[in-house]
Amino acid sequence: MVFITGPLFSGKKSTAKSLMHWDDTMLEQNAVWDVEQMVSGCSDLEKLADRLAEKQVVIASEIGGGVVPVDPEQRAQREAAGRLSCLLAQRADTVIRVFCGIPTVLKGEIRL
Amino acid sequence: MVTLVIGGAASGKSEFAESLVLQMGTLPRWYIATMQPFDDECRERIRRHRKMRVEKQFETIECFTGLEKVTIPEKGVVLLECMSNLTANELYSPDGAGAHTMEAISRGIDHLIQQCTDLIIVSNEVFSGGTDYQGDTLHYLRTLAAVNRMLASKADRVYEIVCGIPVCHKGEERKG
Repeated sequence: MVFITGPLFSGKKSTAKSLMHWDDTMLEQNAVWDVEQMVSGCSDLEKLADRLAEKQVVIASEIGGGVVPVDPEQRAQREAAGRLSCLLAQRADTVIRVFCGIPTVLKGEIRL
Repeated sequence: MVTLVIGGAASGKSEFAESLVLQMGTLPRWYIATMQPFDDECRERIRRHRKMRVEKQFETIECFTGLEKVTIPEKGVVLLECMSNLTANELYSPDGAGAHTMEAISRGIDHLIQQCTDLIIVSNEVFSGGTDYQGDTLHYLRTLAAVNRMLASKADRVYEIVCGIPVCHKGEERKG
């Protein structure tokens, strides 16, 4: 599995498409994105990570870089999203961070 | 050569961008300022920064909207700061490009490149604090992100500034 992370709107899905030579349909079939949104109400992040890792590409936005939210629910969601990204990175053969549309390989070896 | 310098608030991006200009040694040095003086606090900040730059031999050109209409009086190094202001001005000023902001800025950058030896652009990283945005904020973020990706693709060098340390994403200094 390839795990792609990076800031919001940084070009993560475009990177996945060009890396895997996919069109939109292929992306929809073989990748899952916005996974940081899936943590709310999730009691078992490990299980969620296992399930997501069955896809070829998993994409998450980095959301832990701002001020700690005042709202307890948002705070918990942000924590869980960060933890989920760590779990996905552990399961991934390749981890890529996309910044301003530019990919950098953080784990594994892949030709960009 | 075109260089994009991008970082969060108070990350040291301006200092790094200025140091790149000074290292080049080329004169004249032009600074394109994008902040509109809305109140006394802005005016004071602008006055202070302008004075600091005079000592470093920068001459200031103000551009709040319409980068493609800027004329650089004499070929030299151009430092453009900051794209987050310019994008907001283009989106929300009455004389701004509105829905065509990204395209207008793209043409403006091409226009500047033709008029300088080197262009250094400073922009803001504001995209790692969450995804739950709505309305004008969401629209602004989408536009600034598109501008940043456009600039990164045009640039020969892209630096992300983290705690004052430049991380090279594109260019000769990139690792790996």
